Amino acid sequence: MLRKEFKSNLKSFIIWTSILIVIFLVVYLVYPYIITDDTMASLDEMLKVFPSELLKAFNMDISSINTAYGWLKSEGLMFVLLIIGFYSSMLGSNVLLKEENDKTIEYLGTLPIKRSKIVTNKVIVSITYIISMTLILGIFNYIFLSISCEFNKLEFLLLSITPILIGIPLFGINLFISTFMHKTKKTVGISLGLVFIFYLINVLSELSSNVEVLKYFTIYSLAPTRDIIETQSIGFINIFVSILLSIIFIFLSYIRYNKKELV
Amino acid sequence: MKSILKIKNLKKYYGDIKGIENVSITLNEGDIYGFIGPNGAGKSTTIRCIMGLINKTSGTIIFEEKKLDSDDINIKKQIGYLPSEVNLYSDMTVKEIFDYHESFYDDINKRRKELVKLLKIDESKKIEDLSLGNLKKVGITLALMHEPKLLILDEPTSGLDPMMQNIFHEILMKEKEKGTTILYSSHVLSEVSSICDKIGFIKDGVIIKEDTIENITKDNYTYLTIASKDIEKIKKDLKLKIINENKNEVKFINDMDNNTLIKKLSKYNIDKLLIETISLEDLFSKYYK
Repeated sequence: MLRKEFKSNLKSFIIWTSILIVIFLVVYLVYPYIITDDTMASLDEMLKVFPSELLKAFNMDISSINTAYGWLKSEGLMFVLLIIGFYSSMLGSNVLLKEENDKTIEYLGTLPIKRSKIVTNKVIVSITYIISMTLILGIFNYIFLSISCEFNKLEFLLLSITPILIGIPLFGINLFISTFMHKTKKTVGISLGLVFIFYLINVLSELSSNVEVLKYFTIYSLAPTRDIIETQSIGFINIFVSILLSIIFIFLSYIRYNKKELV
Repeated sequence: MKSILKIKNLKKYYGDIKGIENVSITLNEGDIYGFIGPNGAGKSTTIRCIMGLINKTSGTIIFEEKKLDSDDINIKKQIGYLPSEVNLYSDMTVKEIFDYHESFYDDINKRRKELVKLLKIDESKKIEDLSLGNLKKVGITLALMHEPKLLILDEPTSGLDPMMQNIFHEILMKEKEKGTTILYSSHVLSEVSSICDKIGFIKDGVIIKEDTIENITKDNYTYLTIASKDIEKIKKDLKLKIINENKNEVKFINDMDNNTLIKKLSKYNIDKLLIETISLEDLFSKYYK
């Protein structure tokens, strides 16, 4: 069953990973040509216009975009966190619900297999794909950055694994939400909207200390990119909360799915 | 006789809406039970409760003296299910889906090969490319290949051509000989009457009649057609409900036994006498009018 699950989710994994790879490939190929001393000077002038809070929200106050690695630490990470967030959310919404949407549950649900095992297999496959996507992108970035510039290897490693800290909890939350639904049509909007809202809350929480409390209401605060750049540490609490949230929501999904009306 | 499936007072409500109410059915080993009812009567709801796809509101379902738990793998291994609409993974080939199915059971490859040959299935085709009839044949194979003790069939012949329907009925009769118990849900009464031992009529979620086909047709009305010059006297004498009248020929609905009827008619000159067993179709109309 595990093999079948891997196979049926492979296509979307390849598509989403390719999107990320293509974005980064384009940036790495064109970056040396567009970032010259002249363009950098005018960019610096332009950035001065932006409020410091906004630059802070995208790590642009602590990393210069004059190298590809600098771009990765600011805008690049934003793309990675958003795209892996979308992928994880969509995976969480669809992985169980697709069986009901396509009506294949009337076959799967009557096979000699416990419902909890159905969930376990799908969770294993999904988490493997989320981690694999992060690793593949990390390796790709490592190779290209090694060619183009000098960079801090430890910092890079820590930044590269942050998507896992938001990806798996987002997967768990969406998996749990999907156990209340019967059609995937309804969940697409929810999963995409949830990622946007969480990301927006995170950006807002970094704009001002007055609204810093908002960071407790977003999954994206579990990816402490700023702290990593500043302290070269990921923070135990972020790993702990990420694992805890993932476990809670996946566990709740098991309970809900075992009682769910499947047709 | 050993009971295979015993359903007692099964009830399913969707909020305030009734799905089924107090459905009780007993299937003994080797029985073929015809589960009859129009669309929306509650056949599929009952079946989905048995299969654990939906949660029953109340009632018990017992499989071989053990409460049926939809998560009990050993029980599930002994049940074969063919849904009314076969939905399988469209990106897989027939061979892949059979291999996948096989991986959940022990040593069922021989039976698979037999069924594939019998039903003339092309295993190389993709599920999404199959016609409705061929998809149904794949569904039949999946329901039968692990040689279940209990076979639950929901509208099994829809989409099958007449030749394939005959082959399918032959397969079912062989299953019956082996002792397989079959719950056969349908609204095609001719096939139910030809293969089932016992039938249950379900209407608005309630079983309204359950008996053997023999008893159901015997204990009920017959059609009686009489042609006679004395027809007016016969009408007064028999006091039966007339359903059709044409000059000297009248068709009645008769509830008398044959001996009483013949005794009464012996006084008259009869040109034509026809006693017809009421068909299952007529019974169906009678119950669902």
